[in-house]
Amino acid sequence: MTDLRDDFPILKNKIYGQRLVYLDNAATSQKPSSVIDSISDFYKYDNSNIHRGVHYLSELSSDLYEEARKKVSTFIGSSDPSEITFTAGTTDSINQVAFSLKSTLMGNEVLISGMEHHSNIVPWQLAGAKIKTIPMDEDCNLLLDSMEITDKTKLIAISHVSNVLGTVNDIKRITEIAADHDIPVLVDAAQSIQHLPLDVEKIGCDFLAASGHKMYASSGIGILYTNNRYSDIMPARGGGGMIDKVTFEGSTYLSPPLRYEAGTPNISGAISVGAAIDYMQNIGLDKIREHEHDVYSYAKERLLDTDGITVYGNNEDMCGSISFNIENIHHYDLGLILDKMGIAVRTGHHCAQPLMELLGTEGTVRASFALYNTKEDIDILMDGIEKARMMFS
Amino acid sequence: MSDHIQDEIIEQFQGLEWLEKYELLISFARELEPMHEQFMTEEYAISGCQSKVWIRTHIENGKLIIHLDSEAMITKGIIYLLMKVMNNRSPQEIVDLDLYFIEETGLKSNLSPARADGLASIIKRIREVAEMEIN
Repeated sequence: MTDLRDDFPILKNKIYGQRLVYLDNAATSQKPSSVIDSISDFYKYDNSNIHRGVHYLSELSSDLYEEARKKVSTFIGSSDPSEITFTAGTTDSINQVAFSLKSTLMGNEVLISGMEHHSNIVPWQLAGAKIKTIPMDEDCNLLLDSMEITDKTKLIAISHVSNVLGTVNDIKRITEIAADHDIPVLVDAAQSIQHLPLDVEKIGCDFLAASGHKMYASSGIGILYTNNRYSDIMPARGGGGMIDKVTFEGSTYLSPPLRYEAGTPNISGAISVGAAIDYMQNIGLDKIREHEHDVYSYAKERLLDTDGITVYGNNEDMCGSISFNIENIHHYDLGLILDKMGIAVRTGHHCAQPLMELLGTEGTVRASFALYNTKEDIDILMDGIEKARMMFS
Repeated sequence: MSDHIQDEIIEQFQGLEWLEKYELLISFARELEPMHEQFMTEEYAISGCQSKVWIRTHIENGKLIIHLDSEAMITKGIIYLLMKVMNNRSPQEIVDLDLYFIEETGLKSNLSPARADGLASIIKRIREVAEMEIN
């Protein structure tokens, strides 16, 4: 799989004269040429506003947009494309659900894990809900048997994969427990859609949120899956394109998905998501998973072999991100030094301050992987860490 | 207007590779007089920095005395230089001071407000303190 680097023009760039080792994929992934071309081709040949025009280009762009929706739907295992809404990103998707469910959530509780991104905490607080957490063990694994569901629990909102630790949560089991209590489940798939096969029908979740830019598509585009059971919830946004009839006395709305897509959507963004799905499917999802698993395991093994290191979280099933700290080196210093060696990692709290508090640290160094990363990248990272240790010794 | 402290710093950084610059900053960091732990609190913290930075100031004989500390070594090295350049000047001198060494040493890339180390926030805070003293 090493030649996949060639598909990504940015990876040919030299950073401070060195090979770019891009290990900040949990923040955003790089884009293959086919995705970049899908965006420029759209503006060169197909651009028009969708769903409203009778002219040739409007129909063409509407078709491309709807085709992208179908690709997403199939990709995540939904049998009905109308369950897919295009949003601005995972954060936007979750905020939309929080707004739509506000009357239910207000004064009640949302159950989340302690490893959630702020995007899966703050929207619920804005909706007036109290946050409750599922207990975790010292390796940051969820203790689902100790999960406390009360009469006030109105939603379980859980990340599929932690953006900090890389821990894969057992969302299937969570939806089963939730179903026993008739509580809806929202899955934050921002860190899983690019790494793991997803099947919303098998998982049995009610909502699923993801971002285009972390799955090789453009930024500013997101995905929200809403199970048909919730097809009549209040739209979070109103305006053009989502109405059936408007009068000064009141308005009626279209059926999903258009009901949830007020205004002109990010058409080229949606098309880029379709192109990214094509790109991943052409390689083969199993092949991607296998390769990423190899690289992740190698990274974990090499990191754990390092003296004075703390690697956060430990689970049989991990992918995407790995977080660590090196004794006597501040995460920020390590990030700066690695940067000057052409290695892009992220340092800090990774938008998960409550998790940092649980881990007893202000921040970590996070390396996060994509399909184009190789064991050679990990070797370069490890050399960088060793160099930094020498500088601080 | 050139000043010899800044010129001296620029000379020290002349011709160094990035990692050598960081090595130099780490050596400066080791010389920084640590702040007493009791002041390493929210009250003295400068927000906008990924590595925590604390600031204490007072006026002595009409000059502003600045004491900074951080938990990260590279930040510490940079604030060591800031203290060297800015300390023992009147508040008016600090407000008027052109910190040209930051650009000429190449440390400017650490200065942009988007950078997590918040060097810009540190300088802004020092200038605010100086302005308050003037008023």
